[in-house]
Amino acid sequence: MNERHDDLAASAEQHLADKAHELFDESVQALDAQTQSRLNRGRQRALAELDSRAGFRTPSKWVPAAGVAAVAVFAVVLWSGKPPVDEISPPATTSDLEILLNQDSFEMLQDLEFYSWIDLDAELDAGANVG
Amino acid sequence: MSARAGEYAISCTSEDQTGVTTLRHEQELDRFLAEVERRAIRIAEISIRDRDEALDLVQNAMIKLVRNYAERPSEEWTPLFYRILQNGVRDWHRRQAVRNRVMVWFGRPANDDRDFDVVAAAPDPAGRTPEEQIESGEAMQCLELALRDLPQRQREAFMLRTFEGLNVAGTAVAMGCSEGSVKTHYSRAVHSLRETLGEHWQ
Repeated sequence: MNERHDDLAASAEQHLADKAHELFDESVQALDAQTQSRLNRGRQRALAELDSRAGFRTPSKWVPAAGVAAVAVFAVVLWSGKPPVDEISPPATTSDLEILLNQDSFEMLQDLEFYSWIDLDAELDAGANVG
Repeated sequence: MSARAGEYAISCTSEDQTGVTTLRHEQELDRFLAEVERRAIRIAEISIRDRDEALDLVQNAMIKLVRNYAERPSEEWTPLFYRILQNGVRDWHRRQAVRNRVMVWFGRPANDDRDFDVVAAAPDPAGRTPEEQIESGEAMQCLELALRDLPQRQREAFMLRTFEGLNVAGTAVAMGCSEGSVKTHYSRAVHSLRETLGEHWQ
């Protein structure tokens, strides 16, 4: 008796899940062209990240350039006799204020929770990789 | 062939292979994102009731997946993508809650309802009569309303399992919880939905 009741309940649940899936698929198929176009643009933007990362990570291109730059800086420092120092640096309060008033900083402050989540997520992933 | 020419040839071959691997990888990611993006936009839209915002969330999720997890095995992409997306949805809800509190404080209406109409937003699907479209649209609208009444975690579990077809383990990764929790959330979601929709859906 109980088994039959469980079977019926499971069958009804499956029916609901199947119908929900079917309706959802129909609504996905019905997405308008404008939305699909925006999704496509978003995807291309995301894939552009891959290109920039691949270019940046290719060591054969960047290592020699970085080496030459380091040698050049070292040579300039030796030639001038002392490392360059900023003669006039703005008061700390002014630069702090500029940073705070910067639009990007405001946006970052608004999304502080989001950035902390990204950090946490990265730490969790690092932990998972170690484990 | 001189030794120097041989070295050059080996170097070129290596670069070519790297290029081919990168291209293949990019194509694989492109296919994955193209497959997942349309379901993802609907899942996000059901959760936050705003298509523009949902588009932004999906795009951010795609960018973060490519940026942080592109080198992971492709089997892991789906749960990871939805984990990013679901976190984005949760953050969006938190920001909205803060925004609403601020708006109430300044005496403005907390929710500037944009008259979101699910049926009106859905364009004509192909091959169905208008009556069938209306019937299907109404059923989906009922489902969306019922889903919005669910607690967030139950809604996530139901959508990931039923709409995206993730298994329990994949859903657990996407939700950042244990498989046991997924089963509990999913079971409660189905029971609630049956109670809400049951009489219309039998």
